[in-house]
Amino acid sequence: MSTQTKKILNGYHVVFLVQSAMLGTAILTLPRELSAVGYSQTVFPLLFGVIASLTLWPMIWLNRKYPNENLFRINELLLGKVLGKIINVLIILQITVFIAGTITYYMDLIHSTTLPEQTNTFPLILLLLLLLYIVSGGIKSIARFCILSFFLTSGIYYFSHWAFQKGIVSHIFPLFNFNSHELFDAMKRGYLAVVGYELIMFYFPYIKEQNKAFKHALIGIWISISLCFITVFISVIYYSEWQLKNIKFSVLNLLKAGELSFIERIDVFAMTLWVFLVISTLAVYLWSAKKGMESISDKKKKYYLYILAIVIFLVIKLPFTRDFHEKLYKVNDYLVYVLIVWPIFLCIIYLLRKKQVQS
Amino acid sequence: MDNLTLSIYRKACGTLKYKLVRTTKVNKQYKKAPTAEDILADETVKALKEITNDIQDIVFKEIPTSEGIVTIIHSSSLVEKQTLEKSILIPLCDYIHQIHQLATPVDLKDFKGIIEKLVGGHTLMYFQQTHQLLSMDTYSAPTRAITDTATESTVIGPQDAFTESLQTNISLVRRRIRNPMLKNEDRILGTESNFKISILYIDDLVNKENLNKLRQRIDKVHYPIFTDISMLMQAIEDNPLSPFPQYYMSVRPDTISQYLLDGRIIIFMDNSQAAIVCPTSFFEMFTSIEDYYNRWTMASLLRMLRFFGFFLTILITPTYISALTFHPEILPYELLLNIQESRSKVPFPPIFEVLFIELIIEVLREAGSRLPTKVGQTIGIVGGIVIGTAAVEAGLVSNILIVLVAVSALLSFLPPLFLMSNTSRFVRYIFILAAGFFGLFGQMLALAWLFAHLLRIKSLGTPYMTPFIPRKATDLLDSVIRFPIAFTKGRKGISRAQKK
Repeated sequence: MSTQTKKILNGYHVVFLVQSAMLGTAILTLPRELSAVGYSQTVFPLLFGVIASLTLWPMIWLNRKYPNENLFRINELLLGKVLGKIINVLIILQITVFIAGTITYYMDLIHSTTLPEQTNTFPLILLLLLLLYIVSGGIKSIARFCILSFFLTSGIYYFSHWAFQKGIVSHIFPLFNFNSHELFDAMKRGYLAVVGYELIMFYFPYIKEQNKAFKHALIGIWISISLCFITVFISVIYYSEWQLKNIKFSVLNLLKAGELSFIERIDVFAMTLWVFLVISTLAVYLWSAKKGMESISDKKKKYYLYILAIVIFLVIKLPFTRDFHEKLYKVNDYLVYVLIVWPIFLCIIYLLRKKQVQS
Repeated sequence: MDNLTLSIYRKACGTLKYKLVRTTKVNKQYKKAPTAEDILADETVKALKEITNDIQDIVFKEIPTSEGIVTIIHSSSLVEKQTLEKSILIPLCDYIHQIHQLATPVDLKDFKGIIEKLVGGHTLMYFQQTHQLLSMDTYSAPTRAITDTATESTVIGPQDAFTESLQTNISLVRRRIRNPMLKNEDRILGTESNFKISILYIDDLVNKENLNKLRQRIDKVHYPIFTDISMLMQAIEDNPLSPFPQYYMSVRPDTISQYLLDGRIIIFMDNSQAAIVCPTSFFEMFTSIEDYYNRWTMASLLRMLRFFGFFLTILITPTYISALTFHPEILPYELLLNIQESRSKVPFPPIFEVLFIELIIEVLREAGSRLPTKVGQTIGIVGGIVIGTAAVEAGLVSNILIVLVAVSALLSFLPPLFLMSNTSRFVRYIFILAAGFFGLFGQMLALAWLFAHLLRIKSLGTPYMTPFIPRKATDLLDSVIRFPIAFTKGRKGISRAQKK
């Protein structure tokens, strides 16, 4: 493997890579995932922000010890070649299934809201082809796409102001009327909406100003967190506790509160425009998986990307029951938490094996 | 031609060798025998005669002068009679010393060069007595006068446009930029036809890296003939497969001068009216020099219209398809009723309806551009009014669609660069098909593809989406909104000029 990676990512690229990787489809159901704690959920996004900032620190610390290596390589260096490669394969599998899960989720949404009369095979193939096209441009072109999707989709937030006007502001005061079990449940299910920042461990070697990477990543995290906060905030104002628990895509229903004379269903527009957020998120994941394939085989090949795309397609189209798929994605989602905690473990190993590793 | 000249040259060399042997023998008998140079000159003229045997406009004329007989060789189609008379014939007869002062002796060993000179408009003079072969540039092919532009006209500002003459074009630029640092490099291109291109740049402004990159690309071009600079443009683009033009093209000297002063590189081609600007960004395809002549308020408004017009033109009719095929629920009840009423007679699905009328517009446009002006107007009226109204009455298309298609057709002609307006029409068909198959979702996928594509392509190594991919914050002062002139005096980030 090359020891010197070309540095191509500027500060703003890092900000939006972190931001876009976090904001995908999970935010659409965030109020529902947090519904275990009822109206007290307003503070949760902020809490997640704090947790994300804290867990980001070991990642950056570890990466700065190896400025030219990504997590896959660091695994091999710290855990030995065999164990490292096994872990890397697991990470790649996790990412691949995660992408498959997100696409399935989004395609189901599209299927139920905008294209009820079609099977999703062809749209799925198109989506994957588009994803391949973006990822094959490299991390910088992904970063550019992330910037563009952010500015293109942030306009959607304007349409939530009707919900704000119609809601009752007093809902937001936290009552703390939940027990520890409910708290844990909300944390476990809700935190999925903010994962994605851990991917910085894969593109860190490409960052130009690595000493400022922590700051830039933090800005990215807090942009996403504030968007999550706005979403949860307005949902809490607008909905009753029962609605929070039972409406699946509550964010889409927020947009339906709007009244325009020339367009009836803004949510259909928003739903299809969401494809930008989905693609920008998945592009970063897919790129990371491709890097993993490269580090396992020690070769740089373009067809790895196509292999990954085919695997994703197969995972989505596996002839198993819907229940099995949902379980698979759910278990896989929780594995993300392992990946977030993983760098802390690696940091400990680094400190223990410091002399060995450096020699 | 090449092999032929080579064989003649070899033949000439052969004779020379033979004669050299003879002259050395003869030398002893005569006082002044011809030297090797003299014989080579003799043979060259003979070879010239042989090779131009089938070229009727190459004229060999013998004129008696005070220095003996002089053979004049020139191409009658490239040298005007008046020029020939003024600069060759009169001096030869009356002031022959002038000819010796002004004409240059040719390199006899470079036979190919001599031929190129002849077909490039030079006149050769062969002094038979002294065996001297001189040449003088008398190129004076007929050119068109400088007229105003038909394709990029503006209301305010200078009205002159480039012509097909390289020299005239460069002089039109030099007239505006009186700066010794304005350099032009000439190159000969085309493997079959030797024609000239000229690369213009301002030496202390231009980015040298860009300049070298461009030089390398031009050197690598291997193509028999370019009949217009737009062909050369496609040969030196970064992404030849992309539907988007990656360099700006203009026939206006003021536009080109402004880009030169911004630090860009300009390429002119002989026999081609337009010049190309390298590098250019996507956004600049929607700017016109008139934006700087207008007040900033109006200029900003027009720029917004052009820029958002591009996205509107590719989205209007596809949205009609999506809304009617997949998502009628997005339309308010009254509007839906209105549209359905106007579509009540139409038996086709919306996608065929749209494709049908869009194709008719294309046919009208293409027919209109091929026909003579007066007939073209008639066709326009027939097409626009008769076919449009009749199609609605016959129940082939809906009224509302006619309005939408007409608006999007008009919007597609807003970009000042015609190549861009062609691109917008092509891209629209992708969107129409995407909308026809997958509705709004397909449209958004197509939009995501469009943006991803625009973000990936480059113009001479610089991102095409500048200033949206920021290179310089001040670029934003001269983007969709053109701020007052005082704010826009800095050079653009895309030029990466040596001076700010």
